[in-house]
Amino acid sequence: MSAITKKRDWPTVLAAAWLIGLTILAFTADYLPFIRGYAESSPEGIGFSKGPFTSFLLGSDQLGRDVFARCIYGAQISLRIALFSIIIGTVVGGTLGMVAGFFGKASDRAISAFTDVMLAFPPIVIAILVTGRFDALRKNSEAFSWLSRTWSITFVLSILAIAPLARIVRAQTLSISQREFVLAARSLGARNGRVLVREILPNLVPAMVSVIFTGVAVLLIAEGGLAFLGYSIELPTPTWGRLIAENRNFIREAWWGTIMPCVMLFATVLSFNVLGDRIARRFDIREAAL
Amino acid sequence: MSDFLEVTDVFTHFETPRGQVRAVDGVTFTLERGKTLGIVGESGSGKTILSRTIMGLLPTRGTVRGGTIRYKGEEIQGRAPSEMRDIWGKQMAMIFQDPMSSLNPLMKIGMQIAEPLIHNLDMPKDQALATAKRLLDDVRIPESVKRLNQYPHELSGGMRQRVMIAIALACGPNLLLADEPTTALDVTVQAQILDLLREQRQDRNMSMILVTHDLGVVAGHTDEIAVMYGGKIVEKAPTDGLFKNMLMPYTAALLESIPKMNRPSHTRLTTIPGRPPDLVSPPAGCRFAPRCPAAQERCHSEEPPLSSAGSPGHVYACWYPVGSPVYREAIERRAKETV
Amino acid sequence: MRYALQRLGQFILVFLVVTFLVMVITRIGSKDPARDLAGGLVAQEQVDEVRELYRLDEPFVVQYGNWIKNLVTLDFGYSYAQNQSVNDMMKQRLLPSFFIGIWAIFIGLLLAVPTAIYSAYRRDGAFDKTMSTTSFAFLSMPPIVIAVLLSFFIGVKLRWFPVDSNYVALWDNPWQHFRNFILPSFTLGLGLSAVWTRLLRADLINTLQSDFIMLARAKGMSPRRILWVHALRASALSLITSIAIQMGGLIGGAVVAEQFFAMPGIGDRLVFAIQQNDLLVVQAITALLAIVVVAVNLLVDLFYAVIDPRIRHARAIK
Repeated sequence: MSAITKKRDWPTVLAAAWLIGLTILAFTADYLPFIRGYAESSPEGIGFSKGPFTSFLLGSDQLGRDVFARCIYGAQISLRIALFSIIIGTVVGGTLGMVAGFFGKASDRAISAFTDVMLAFPPIVIAILVTGRFDALRKNSEAFSWLSRTWSITFVLSILAIAPLARIVRAQTLSISQREFVLAARSLGARNGRVLVREILPNLVPAMVSVIFTGVAVLLIAEGGLAFLGYSIELPTPTWGRLIAENRNFIREAWWGTIMPCVMLFATVLSFNVLGDRIARRFDIREAAL
Repeated sequence: MSDFLEVTDVFTHFETPRGQVRAVDGVTFTLERGKTLGIVGESGSGKTILSRTIMGLLPTRGTVRGGTIRYKGEEIQGRAPSEMRDIWGKQMAMIFQDPMSSLNPLMKIGMQIAEPLIHNLDMPKDQALATAKRLLDDVRIPESVKRLNQYPHELSGGMRQRVMIAIALACGPNLLLADEPTTALDVTVQAQILDLLREQRQDRNMSMILVTHDLGVVAGHTDEIAVMYGGKIVEKAPTDGLFKNMLMPYTAALLESIPKMNRPSHTRLTTIPGRPPDLVSPPAGCRFAPRCPAAQERCHSEEPPLSSAGSPGHVYACWYPVGSPVYREAIERRAKETV
Repeated sequence: MRYALQRLGQFILVFLVVTFLVMVITRIGSKDPARDLAGGLVAQEQVDEVRELYRLDEPFVVQYGNWIKNLVTLDFGYSYAQNQSVNDMMKQRLLPSFFIGIWAIFIGLLLAVPTAIYSAYRRDGAFDKTMSTTSFAFLSMPPIVIAVLLSFFIGVKLRWFPVDSNYVALWDNPWQHFRNFILPSFTLGLGLSAVWTRLLRADLINTLQSDFIMLARAKGMSPRRILWVHALRASALSLITSIAIQMGGLIGGAVVAEQFFAMPGIGDRLVFAIQQNDLLVVQAITALLAIVVVAVNLLVDLFYAVIDPRIRHARAIK
């Protein structure tokens, strides 16, 4: 707060640097000569696995593919799915939470009942179930042939994000609506819509940003788990969870094939958590369980 | 000469980002066995910190303590909490201000009283609970057997304060420190609690330090009164002597600020203007000078020492005490100005 | 008592909605529910038999009522795909999952409670700071990552415990039981302990500043008794609530851990059943797991009311 405490916050700097670097690599992967193509085939042919820091930065897997390149492609998919899901989850969950917290009464009871029910389902269980059923739907029905794994996983993760987000936003909205400036605006005759958009929404933003960061971390973990259980996007595209699952059978011979994507996943989740935590502390938001 | 409790030049400073807060700044007094000392002052005068310093209950981190506290001839100032534990409960006990929050909400009354008996005196549990019942009788709690199995929230505020007194009395301490024991209670209950404290003190031949902001509370219940301001004792006298002859303008101001029965109703209460001094950088001279109605130039530059008032045991720290010509003149001038 | 009934009523309502949703979701994309419920590749007579049995020609609500009736009487049906009654399957598969969960909670508490207590006691000390960083790191570690690391270092490198677990009942051979369960349970327990360490530490620090702790000190109670009896009892409530909140995540984690360590539990079977399109089993297991979550929350609520006299009292007044 004061000049004394103006020390560089290294965890935050590192977390931000990691995420920015990873995002740039992931979304320019197709144009980078040292990544493009290496994910599928290797210049050194099929054969067992070179260790890290040889001709491959993070080693190669049992098919001779570059682990680093596959990790970066994995990042692309994992990040895209997590970001899309959190956006959908935030919009839907946030709206529900604001309505419940602001209007109360019947809307609150209905929305709270909805979140209660949603939270009764163990997230991973419902995720594999729904993804599995969407597979059947796509297979059995022409109308749903567009419903690729990418879509169904994004959809499922969004659904999982809705209930916790709605809960947090509801609680925040409730506490903000009791504050002086909202009461003041109301006493001046502002209408509901105006109060909601002009007074409450801006004050929700810091909490929301923090929750979005933590939420992305949680969704990355869920996506990893889902991929590990066999519910990742279509082959052969790599995701972190799939890399971990595929390569772990060769962990004795080539540990880097599994450990490296684990490290990537961990570092990314950690970075999102660090940023979410810092924002929450900055704006003094109590730790919310997502 | 007393060797029960001797407090000499005690100070307690807290490290804060703003600098050292000199909460207690050189306090000296003695207390004899069986006597009661009242410590009076506004909030922020250091009286609560003083009582916790004597008890040794302050956090160790960021606290600078000094001076000597001799209890029964033994030095206890600066002892670690682990060494103080032999004294807590058995020798000294404390009663806190808020009976609502000071009892453990999740523990039955009986156990809260029996606990120190079991752990400090190695009493078997059933015997300790029997003693707890007797203690509840002593502090006049009806249906004591039933109360043993009740939780604090099932009792009224006054009852809870009685329970707290029972807890304090449990291990037979010789010194009782009561920190604003009646502040959180209804006026009707306050007198009962004070009478109970006096009676128990007499029965058990305890000494007591009664900390309060209310001169009315100490009036009938203490042998001696020490008035604190800005971390220092500014006047100390036997209770009768003090009320007969107040010398420190601050003491007089404190007395003016409590309602009195013999005044006509709707008399305006006199308040003390200004705020207690900032204890990070206290005023150079007398700490009360900025708020004193009779402050002179000397008061702002030179700190008055504690000097004897003539009558035995009466000391005060003021250059121009109440009744002195300078004081009277200043007050008269001020009265004219306001008219 | 009235509170208990009220909560029970809520429980039944949530139970009905949850099971209904399970049935709706399970039917998504099913062209011929009778065939899928019969387990796919079976003879037409069996499909017709199943259609008859589960009243699949009647409206959805009737089918649902029929299923619920069976659920409540603990009759989960017969899986033609597995050629086994689902009840028998549950019996076999529930215990491994139960033990993974129980040991994970046990490990979580065993690590978290002393750590949190010491961290709160010596707040901002070296231990507190180290543990706060460590727990933050573990909080960010997905179960699969923990599983990989544990299996690699402890299972593959050190060879202390088997990477492929078998189910051994506790009462048959405690040592083998312990050997087989330690890796999957630690996988989940480490994550839980991180959550609980942070939660309990924050709560304890709050509690330790209360007046009643000051009084306990003034009574001459030892730091140990103040921490473990006075402070922990007050802070334990938020810990218990958290166990309920973590239940859903724990079950999800258990599915991953079972799959990873090849533990033949209920989650492992669920994953298989979804792949096999064995709807009857899918429906039964999903409903069961959701009910466990709701039931644990109900139990914690009731327990809370029993353990905290203030709540008990407040309810009595209402």
